[in-house]
Amino acid sequence: MPKYKKVQLVLAGIFAILFFRFYHLQIYQHSKYEAKAGNNSVRKISLHAPRGIIYDRNGIPIVDNRQIYDLAVIPFDVTSQFDYQMVSKRTGVSSSELQEKITKGKKSFHRFRPVPIKRHINFETRSHLEENKLSLPGTIFSEFPARTYPDKAKLTHVLGYLRVVTDFTASKPNQKLNYKLGDVFGFSGIERIYESNLRGRDGTEFRLVDIYGIDHGVYQDNPGQQPVPGKALNLAIDSKLQALIEDLFTEKKGAAICMMPKTGDILAFVSAPDYDLNSFAGPVPLELWEGWNTDPEKPLINRGIQGLYPPGSTFKLIGAALAKEEGKVDKNWTVNCNGVYHLGDRDFHCWNEAGHGTVNMDKAIFQSCNIYFYHLIQKLSFNNWKGMAENFGFGATTGIDLLGEKEGLVPGKKYMNDKYGRFGWATGNLLTFIIGQGDVLVTPLQVVQMMNIIATRGNTKSPHLLLDGPSENITLSLKSETWDFLQQATWNVVNHEDGTGKAAKVMGGDVHGKTGTAQNPHGEVHSWFAGYLVKDDVPILSLAILVEHGGKGSVEAALISHKIFKYAQKNITL
Amino acid sequence: MLRKTLLYNNFLNKIFQPPDKIVFRWGMLFPVIVLMCISFITLKYTSVNSSFFSSTFTKQIVWFGLGSIIFILAQWVRIQYFQEYAYHFYGILIILIGVTYFMPVIGGSQRWLIFGPLSFQPSEIGKLFLVFVIARVLADQKGNMNEIKLLLLILIMAFIPALLVFKQPDFGTAIVYGFIAIPMLYWSGIRSFYLFSVIAPFVSIISAFNIYIFSIWMGILVFVIYYNQPKITTGVSQFIVNIGCGILSPFIWNNILYFHQKERILTLLNPTRDPHGAGYQVIQSIIAIGSGGIWGKGVGEGTQTQLRYLPVRDTDFIVSVIGEEMGLFGITVILVVFFTMLYWIIVYAGIISNRFSSLTLIGFASILFIHLAVNMGMTVGLLPVTGLPAPFLSYGGSFLLSCILILALSTNIINQHI
Repeated sequence: MPKYKKVQLVLAGIFAILFFRFYHLQIYQHSKYEAKAGNNSVRKISLHAPRGIIYDRNGIPIVDNRQIYDLAVIPFDVTSQFDYQMVSKRTGVSSSELQEKITKGKKSFHRFRPVPIKRHINFETRSHLEENKLSLPGTIFSEFPARTYPDKAKLTHVLGYLRVVTDFTASKPNQKLNYKLGDVFGFSGIERIYESNLRGRDGTEFRLVDIYGIDHGVYQDNPGQQPVPGKALNLAIDSKLQALIEDLFTEKKGAAICMMPKTGDILAFVSAPDYDLNSFAGPVPLELWEGWNTDPEKPLINRGIQGLYPPGSTFKLIGAALAKEEGKVDKNWTVNCNGVYHLGDRDFHCWNEAGHGTVNMDKAIFQSCNIYFYHLIQKLSFNNWKGMAENFGFGATTGIDLLGEKEGLVPGKKYMNDKYGRFGWATGNLLTFIIGQGDVLVTPLQVVQMMNIIATRGNTKSPHLLLDGPSENITLSLKSETWDFLQQATWNVVNHEDGTGKAAKVMGGDVHGKTGTAQNPHGEVHSWFAGYLVKDDVPILSLAILVEHGGKGSVEAALISHKIFKYAQKNITL
Repeated sequence: MLRKTLLYNNFLNKIFQPPDKIVFRWGMLFPVIVLMCISFITLKYTSVNSSFFSSTFTKQIVWFGLGSIIFILAQWVRIQYFQEYAYHFYGILIILIGVTYFMPVIGGSQRWLIFGPLSFQPSEIGKLFLVFVIARVLADQKGNMNEIKLLLLILIMAFIPALLVFKQPDFGTAIVYGFIAIPMLYWSGIRSFYLFSVIAPFVSIISAFNIYIFSIWMGILVFVIYYNQPKITTGVSQFIVNIGCGILSPFIWNNILYFHQKERILTLLNPTRDPHGAGYQVIQSIIAIGSGGIWGKGVGEGTQTQLRYLPVRDTDFIVSVIGEEMGLFGITVILVVFFTMLYWIIVYAGIISNRFSSLTLIGFASILFIHLAVNMGMTVGLLPVTGLPAPFLSYGGSFLLSCILILALSTNIINQHI
């Protein structure tokens, strides 16, 4: 073979090696590198779906969306003219920390990726930094959805708040909602329980991005997906009434719940004290949370469903209902009240130390005579009394659309045996139970439900915050005379000249109610008032008011109720 | 005055002579046109954002125009002049490269002679001078010198400028200098076994970094030595030298190579080792080429290129751009036409009986070949990133001119003899 052919052959061999290397990359490994090229330049951008807006029953927005911002810096783009001082001043991040983050970022392979500097800055800070963009090369802002509360009504415990998904365990219970790190989710209240409605479906968009992070428009080969906004919610809440009651509860502790007896709509729901949802942007800052958590007033507790109180005299209605239903006593069965009752070696007092004189059942209700009921309970069965209390919804959750509701406690024989031993308790205990003291514990929501049952003669619905929301029928069939009696007796409480609930009376309105004064180990008695307002023969509003350490129910709670009834008479129609 | 004029005329007559004929050898030149077209199309779309006159596309067209003029002018050059003065040119080259050591450092190396606004890289034109001097030595020795002595002489002549360039530091050009001598030596008729003996220590050095490869290499070495049956002392000493090189290489690694040279070699072995250094470029280049597929993404449509993930896309990595936008098709065209060009140069070198001319053609072909092979090997991660541009493809005026000059002088030589 001539020499030049040998040289050409070697040359051809080397070119063949090159060709096969290209062939290997471009044909054999093509899909691998195609994907890598895509990863390089195609950015998947998440399009935030706006969260559903929450309205009250009249279409007034209570919770709306607003944007807050996260500040980040692309280390590669930061030049020497970067004004560390300004960023530090505006965001509170120390300028040495900033410098460290950026120099570290510049050395990293991901020097084109944004490094987060400060989360949750507001619009004002953003605008200020944006105006000085020239001395802040490389800064970018990303939007972050937050909530705003435009209405006067705060509705704190009902609405709840959002948190950020920080790790995937936080989102486990709701994996079908597809959380990503940094997403927000409803952590409490309505925001949590209706998360799947409120949360929209985030969209995606594929964009071409060059090595400097500069956008080159939508990637044609993949159009992505439009975001689906979250559904709006209409609450049963009447925001004006809510605001009114919140106002009445300034500087007070307690709970107030107003409902529509026939529908189970919750018109107002106040737990005081509360906390200010507007006091932070984005997720709750830790210091603030710690402050609430250690506050002795316990603002985080939703007293309407989590506060357990002795019901006091409001509970006498249960005993009365049982006695009427079983026909154990009639109008003519009377008790003489001289202010004190001896049983065994103990004295049981009436609230009126002077005594009520001769008391029949009707009077025993509207004057709230304890002595009458001390006698009455001894004619009744403990089991049946417990059963009647349970018929009225005590000792069980109501099924309201909020999490964390408590059951309360209606003691029965088994409970007493377990707690005190078979011989450790006696009739004496029952005397306290029938007047709503002792071991009996209820939530304000249970009390208002009792009023719904009375107002509708046992045909009501379970309480719900969502307008037309999930609700079960509650039916309780008692004798017609029993209902008549309960309604008449509660009317007398407010409208009889000696009634304990006189203060709640409104002119031209049929207010029914029952006061309560709950003794408790923590100090001054709690003030209860539970009742309902009838307009045109229809009960339009029921309520339960509890003022912690508010004194007698006939005063504090009844006065608040009076104002609510007055509002309701004018403004609430079915 | 007259004397001076006569001397001057004499000088011009030495350099220039009117060509008998100008024949364009299309087997050699048509590939250049194809390569230049590919280069222009690619540059057009990599320089979309710059203004027309400052774009690499426009500038390269101007350089090409200038190159065409030089091509014609070069036909008047009297090649024998370079044969006669080959040693002088070689001496000048060594001196000029030496002078660069006193020049300012630009981009980490001292490669340029700088006179005010003008700068000149002597090692660029020096490739031609080295070809001339080696051709001269080999042409002069027609078997009247011991083959081994001749071999060593040539290697030393090549290694002096190669080392000087290597220390500038300019690894790429050093490789070119070191490589040129090998095909020329083979062409001059040196026994293959001697060439093998020369190359073997380098293979020993490189393979010493992996004990298994080193063992296999030693096996091949023993076989080749045995097959060629040299004197027993020669064979044994050769074997010992190779083993010695293998053992010495860690020492060389630690004491002679610059940090960035070591980085380049290490990155060659594993491109993901330092993804944001030199390896970053190679990774992005491989992604660009691999994602191109058979037909490419279309001119101006390569995401790696147009979104600037690919570095130095106009010069060192222009082949990656072509691989991405024109696919394996574009690469195949490049390989085929480039091979055609070298094929014809070798054919002519085989026909021409004048030893100097024939050897010069082989030297020129070697220069073009080593640039393309190293450049393309670099873009696909087969060879380290050395900064050698691709002939007729990469943007860069002086490199394009010297490539055109190589073809012009080749045409000149061929026309003189055929």
